[in-house]
Amino acid sequence: MLTGLAVIGVARFLQQRQDFENATARSYQVEIAARNRLAEGAAPGPTRAAIVAQKRERQRLRNDIDGETRDTALLVGAGLIAGLTGAALLFTGLIATMRRPLEELVDASGRLAGGDLQARVKVGGLSETAALGEAFNEMAGELQRRAGERDQLETMKDEFVLTASHELRSPLTSVQGFAELLMLERDKLSPAQADTVEIILDNTRHLVRLLNDLLDLARSDAGRLTIKPAPTDVASLIEDAVRTMRSQTEARGQSLDQRLDPGLPQVNVDRDRIRQVLVNLITNAHEYSPDRASIEVTATHRDGEVEMAVRDDGPGMAADQLEHIFDRFTRGDAGLTQHVGGTGLGLAISKSLVELHGGTIAAESVQGQGSTFRVRLPAIPAAAPTVDGPKSEAPVDISAHPQEETR
Amino acid sequence: MTRVLIADDSETILLLMRTRLEMEGYEVVTAADGLEVIETMRTADPQPDILLLDAMMPRKSGIEALRELRAGGVKTPTLIVSAHQDQMDAGAATDVEVSGYVTKPIDFEALFTRIAELTRP
Repeated sequence: MLTGLAVIGVARFLQQRQDFENATARSYQVEIAARNRLAEGAAPGPTRAAIVAQKRERQRLRNDIDGETRDTALLVGAGLIAGLTGAALLFTGLIATMRRPLEELVDASGRLAGGDLQARVKVGGLSETAALGEAFNEMAGELQRRAGERDQLETMKDEFVLTASHELRSPLTSVQGFAELLMLERDKLSPAQADTVEIILDNTRHLVRLLNDLLDLARSDAGRLTIKPAPTDVASLIEDAVRTMRSQTEARGQSLDQRLDPGLPQVNVDRDRIRQVLVNLITNAHEYSPDRASIEVTATHRDGEVEMAVRDDGPGMAADQLEHIFDRFTRGDAGLTQHVGGTGLGLAISKSLVELHGGTIAAESVQGQGSTFRVRLPAIPAAAPTVDGPKSEAPVDISAHPQEETR
Repeated sequence: MTRVLIADDSETILLLMRTRLEMEGYEVVTAADGLEVIETMRTADPQPDILLLDAMMPRKSGIEALRELRAGGVKTPTLIVSAHQDQMDAGAATDVEVSGYVTKPIDFEALFTRIAELTRP
């Protein structure tokens, strides 16, 4: 409304200005006509008086228009100020109306990005912010639906592996059991038949190992790979693993030595699981190295950690192979040896197990100069009282696969 | 002679276990599920010296059968046979007194040692 006043003021000003221009022009015309007449010899007295009158008339007009201009300027100024104030007030209101929904959107986006897939905004306010809110909610809903589908697929995959490994285990038990039964009567078999049964047994054991590894990975993925840590003596752990592998390395003339720092602190680990890791590393060294190779297991203590390392002087690995050595189904180049019986899952499982203990596992290798695998585990501080009870006898191992210890 | 009751829903597994146990000099009684286990324990004379029960069987699992037997005062040493660890974790209740677990495939040499320990007079 006040803005309207300003517009009217400006219009009036323009009209007055026009009137002033017209009146001034007429005054000049009268004056010029008088001057012409004077030049043509008219009586100078009245003519000069007319000229002076016109000059006065124009002065009056100018005074008038100045006053009008001042009034109009005041009017326009007031109008403009009022208009701007109104606009500012209106705009402030608008910003306030938009600000709350926008802040809510920013907040919800942050939560969504942070993984809260249930983040939604209240839809309302101006049509623009309401549309924005609706679009956001639609997007969040879609994200949540897809995440749900993905989780469901993951769960189905885990369940499938767990069920399949169970279902496969029963027939495998029969195959292995009856093959063992045949081997008990080996003297009644021809040498060729005995060899055949050996092959069945070897392959059955490999299948069982693969099944156990798959099961461990499925458990790991499902977050069900659990450990039961207890203070454990590093030397006895390594001796245990070395004893398990001794007959296999001796069969191929490989040396298997251990070199342990004196006074190693204990580690808080699930004994069976870390033994599984060590056996796996020694098995790899054994299988990938040629006959009469040297394998060494060492244990050192540094910076609050115990490092157990398995070193061999076998063929080693190229850098690109080393990079993926802890990935699933990655295996070293088996072309160099006929003895590789691994599943390609052992190192992936070892990594999961070591990390579950808060430790790290790493591999170093130079092609042609052997490989070293290092497992670092947090040591129990020496000051802490040892909770290790009297050393229990090695648990009776009833299963054919030691890593599935009964507990 | 030591009497062993074995329960498994697979006839092949029963045949395998019976053969190995009999070769080792044990007397074997078999059951196809938990209900047969309970029935056998009610009627068998003399009673089995040790039970080898599969954890998962139709109609009644080895764990359920053992829970009933223990509630009825049966103290016979029992080994639970299972396909894998997860099954035991899921199925084995802490309230049942179990002598130990055996996972498949069965390491028979270790099993014989265990049976001998549990049935030593």
